[in-house]
Amino acid sequence: MNEQARTVRMPMVGRVLEANDDVAAMTRGDLARRGVFAIDLIGAPGSGKTALLEATLQRLKGRRRPAVLVGDLATRRDADRLARWCDRVVQISTGEGCHLEAGQVRVALDQTNLEGVDLLFIENVGNLICPVGFDLGQTAKVGMFSLTEGDDKAAKHPYLVAAADLLLLNKIDLAPHLSFDRAGFEADVHLLNPTVRVLELSAVSGQGLDEWIAWIDRGISAVQGETPE
Amino acid sequence: MPVVHEFSIAEALATQVLAHAPAGARVRGVEIRIGALRGLEPDALKMCWDAVTFGTPMAGAELEVDLRPWSITCSSCGREWTSSVPFVSCACGNATPAPLGGDELDLVAITVDDGEA
Repeated sequence: MNEQARTVRMPMVGRVLEANDDVAAMTRGDLARRGVFAIDLIGAPGSGKTALLEATLQRLKGRRRPAVLVGDLATRRDADRLARWCDRVVQISTGEGCHLEAGQVRVALDQTNLEGVDLLFIENVGNLICPVGFDLGQTAKVGMFSLTEGDDKAAKHPYLVAAADLLLLNKIDLAPHLSFDRAGFEADVHLLNPTVRVLELSAVSGQGLDEWIAWIDRGISAVQGETPE
Repeated sequence: MPVVHEFSIAEALATQVLAHAPAGARVRGVEIRIGALRGLEPDALKMCWDAVTFGTPMAGAELEVDLRPWSITCSSCGREWTSSVPFVSCACGNATPAPLGGDELDLVAITVDDGEA
């Protein structure tokens, strides 16, 4: 150690996640050029993300050309479930990772045939906290809650609520059996994000799915520069 | 699980610091600013920082976290204040003032020993 060594403070102006954000920006540009509407779907384990995608892919079959990236800690089970409805499903095994990062999505997209694809679902790792802060290059961030998680989950996960372009409240068919305070849940949501829409649906009963599909169709139209009907 | 979250942020931070520090310089301190929305725990982040920088030129560098609070605005009386938690009541009796949190996650400064001096 040099005795003359001086300690120098170097001011920086930069984002900690700059490297991730740069890759995400590249992906966002590529997807926009291809006319792909890309959804980052974020929700807790068991909220019904895969069930919703199954029901969605089933309804879009023959009408849209979707591709799906599935982030999962250890198994291929979600990917196998979705492959029954979509021939472009890529599994991203995150190992110990609790969220997807832009680099993983980029690598997975390189393995995906995007010819003709107009819709990309990215099913994030089941987690309401970690995935929110990592931009993947998506067009829209969709947050998913479900009735069985309890009506305090929006208040406990403010970043997801504030960052979401759309919030889904799944398992609405169970409402008669649960004491979930829907008005209170929506009030918390709109304190954190006054403009976000909360769409109540059930992947199992099909309730609300028409509105969800219509939202997706409008997203695709917007990305492709079409005039919505 | 929260610690895993802080771990990946600490890894990204170490990459950024290494990229910006002068080659060969010993890093003594790192200052970051975090918005309330990020939901990061400074103590957990510091623990992860110590772990990911072990054995690197950043080892032992002190991580200084400027955790920005929530800005609370009461729609009834117009009072504005800051809070460490988003859902708080106003003194005027309004139980639902609006919380506004930032999502910044910025590297503010690094302090290095300038060995060339």
